[in-house]
Amino acid sequence: MEEKLRAVKKAVIEGDMAAARDGVQLALDTGVEAEVILQQGLIPAMAEVGRLFEAGEYYVPEMLVAARAMQSGLALLKPFLVRSNAKPAGKVVIGTVKGDLHDIGKNLVAMMLEGAGFQIKDLGSNVSPERFIEALQEDQVDILGLSALLTTTMTMMRSTITAIEEAGLRDRVKIIVGGAPVTRTYAEEIGADGYAPDASRAVSLAKQLIGQGHI
Amino acid sequence: MKGSTRVQDWWSVEIEGLPQFEMAMKRVYAWFENEIIDRPPIRFQAHNAFLEAAKEDISGLSKEEKKAWWFDAETQVELFAKSIEGRRFHGETFPVYWPNLGPDVFAAFYGAELEFGEVTSWSIPLVPDWGEVANLRLNMDREYFKKLEELTQCALERCEGKFLVGYTDLHPGLDCVAAWRDPQQLCLDMIDSPERVEQMVALAIADFETIYDHFDAMLKAKNQLSVSWMGIPSFGRMHIPSCDFSTLISKDFFEKFALPILQQEVKSMTHNVFHVDGRGVARHLDAILSVPEVHAVQWVQGVGDDYPIMQWTPFIKDLQNRRIPVVVDLAKEDLNEFIEVMDPRGLFLWIATSSEEEEIEILKRISKWSGSR
Repeated sequence: MEEKLRAVKKAVIEGDMAAARDGVQLALDTGVEAEVILQQGLIPAMAEVGRLFEAGEYYVPEMLVAARAMQSGLALLKPFLVRSNAKPAGKVVIGTVKGDLHDIGKNLVAMMLEGAGFQIKDLGSNVSPERFIEALQEDQVDILGLSALLTTTMTMMRSTITAIEEAGLRDRVKIIVGGAPVTRTYAEEIGADGYAPDASRAVSLAKQLIGQGHI
Repeated sequence: MKGSTRVQDWWSVEIEGLPQFEMAMKRVYAWFENEIIDRPPIRFQAHNAFLEAAKEDISGLSKEEKKAWWFDAETQVELFAKSIEGRRFHGETFPVYWPNLGPDVFAAFYGAELEFGEVTSWSIPLVPDWGEVANLRLNMDREYFKKLEELTQCALERCEGKFLVGYTDLHPGLDCVAAWRDPQQLCLDMIDSPERVEQMVALAIADFETIYDHFDAMLKAKNQLSVSWMGIPSFGRMHIPSCDFSTLISKDFFEKFALPILQQEVKSMTHNVFHVDGRGVARHLDAILSVPEVHAVQWVQGVGDDYPIMQWTPFIKDLQNRRIPVVVDLAKEDLNEFIEVMDPRGLFLWIATSSEEEEIEILKRISKWSGSR
């Protein structure tokens, strides 16, 4: 079993989608539990991808192909995970704020969080405060991720948080923010629960916030 | 100046509020040569401040109305003209109207559609499938090209004695390919289909000279200098090479996909100032500076925690040691400390101020700035 999981892990880290898919299928066919493949194959693989990014060895293309490989394997596991009632690490809603069409950073965060076992609902870009509120009302969400890439649109982060407060939903969710013009100081100023400078550290932050158990 | 062998013609331009035009140009040219006449050149405004000052609140408009606003040549030029009325321009602050439809307009010349926001525009990816590559062709009859001509012409008819007219923000190369393909998809393409990326990159530079020459000819016919959004004019041909997309990629990918473009797009220019957009692009500085025709760089350190300039003094000193002139954007509050630790040679300062009095005072301060450190 260890060898099969190592093969899955290697395929994801190397961004080999076909090998990742085949590796997951082989592991399933030979009786390895879906939850084990996820927890000991895919998730550690993406953690290693995050480490390689923080170490300056991987850049966005390498992260994206690894995430794609992870997603191809995860797609095979999902029916089994649903049947076994496996719980995700947490539920995340993510989007780029209103007026901003940039999405690559947000997409990377979503992929890395998915690779860490979180369930993701991606609202896309140019997302109004109303749409974020709707998403929070539709499901029990643990973390809301807001992204902005322009100084002119990051102000919508504040507006979105204010709208969530006014909707009486603020206490139900942890809000994390990120994007090129965003800083930790700004995050604190607008009442966010956390700030991450990149996708890899967004995962650590999300895990930390879930682990705090305040949700 | 490395890579330059041309002697420039000079001519005088009268602009209200800028009586020191000739001396200012001398300082700019000295800066390109890494020399100082009496003080380093200085531009008083924040990045794109003229555009910000001229901005109307169009947030309530529909998508179509926003596009119409951007396309309204009379309004755009008039807004700019109003924003500089009665102003006096100190230092090396040149009032420049440059026609603007957003940074993806180069991609739009080939068929991409642009969506307009309040301060910028985005392209809708044009090449979702490789089959679409065959349709990529420069079309100078497309609305975006014609509109830039109209904006330029409208400005040229109104500029005499008031402002310079420049050319638009041109992004050939990888930035154009990212607009055609979508940046995230391009990242995947670099690993999945590198030969396709090379094909698109070649297409994205093939017509650059034609496009540049077209607008340059419009300006030169009216005795305009060569200048764009950076506000650093040249009597020859001034270009701002950049590769904002490169913040996402490794040095190896920059050398493979971006460097060949850079080597081409600078060749016919008199003055090239490379726009280094943040620490991600700065990673590629060695490759960028390997091109002898990159005469100078603009350092854009970013906003938020990256903005305070003092953390970047080692980086700027490294450029000075390499004899690369550099545009430095700093807050006026940091000027004294900056002067304390930095040699002025090779620096072109950008500082945002609140008043003319502040500008005059800052000019006095930097006139006393001397000595190597």
